[in-house]
Amino acid sequence: MSQVSIPNVKIAVIDGDLLVRDFVSTVLMYCVNRDVLSFDNGMAAWRYLEGADSPDIIISEVDVSGLNGFELLAKFKEKHPAKKCLLMSANPDDEKVARDSGADAFLAKPVSVTDLFRVVEAFVV
Amino acid sequence: MLRVGPSSGEIKNMSDEDIFSSRLKLLIIMAKSYLIGCPIGKYRKQAIIENSRWVFYHSLHLVNKMVSFKDQDLKAQAGIAFTDDMHEEHIFYQRIQLLAVMAKALAEGRLKGYFREKALKENLNRICEALIFNFNVKDVKFLKVA
Repeated sequence: MSQVSIPNVKIAVIDGDLLVRDFVSTVLMYCVNRDVLSFDNGMAAWRYLEGADSPDIIISEVDVSGLNGFELLAKFKEKHPAKKCLLMSANPDDEKVARDSGADAFLAKPVSVTDLFRVVEAFVV
Repeated sequence: MLRVGPSSGEIKNMSDEDIFSSRLKLLIIMAKSYLIGCPIGKYRKQAIIENSRWVFYHSLHLVNKMVSFKDQDLKAQAGIAFTDDMHEEHIFYQRIQLLAVMAKALAEGRLKGYFREKALKENLNRICEALIFNFNVKDVKFLKVA
């Protein structure tokens, strides 16, 4: 696992569940003291992610409408290979697929505050 | 690949209770960080206010649910008030609401003075005792910079 430091980090959260999306965004906003982007489906996220002002880190639920998490991971890594893509899931079978697909992290649900702190420690500071 | 979260056998979708519990723990961390002097920047302030509001309104909803259960019990069992457990639970949710108000005040720079900070510490301690939540904020280095 690489230890990196990203100044003025830009993060996007993609999850169809509003409660989870808002929770993850709030924790990350507090941790990094930066605004955090959020999207409720993969297609809306991709329209933004393919632009020049793309986030440094995306955290996407696997089971999301439009483009699912694995499709988003493949497109994002193809366009921005150096940037980080983290996948969240409530399905244990998704962990191996995430690993094989080149995800930088797998967040098993339910995600806790301390899990998100570990993510920030690993990828941001 | 970094892997965080519960083991494979415990993976599940996040329920409303999971979210409430996680947001409450986040609120505790936010308040504890303030008490040890961690800086509050623009977006941290926004995150504290958002989280305080969320926890306040959802704990209010939980209290209302308890009261409606109590009323049904009273109708059925005339004259029987809260059991000790229900009373404790009621107080616990009141303490959570107080913590939410205090956290919003600290984010807005209104929680000033020795006794207000003492009240915040005492309230935090009581809530943490009930939750059995013992998180050491001093171990989180990134909270010390804004």
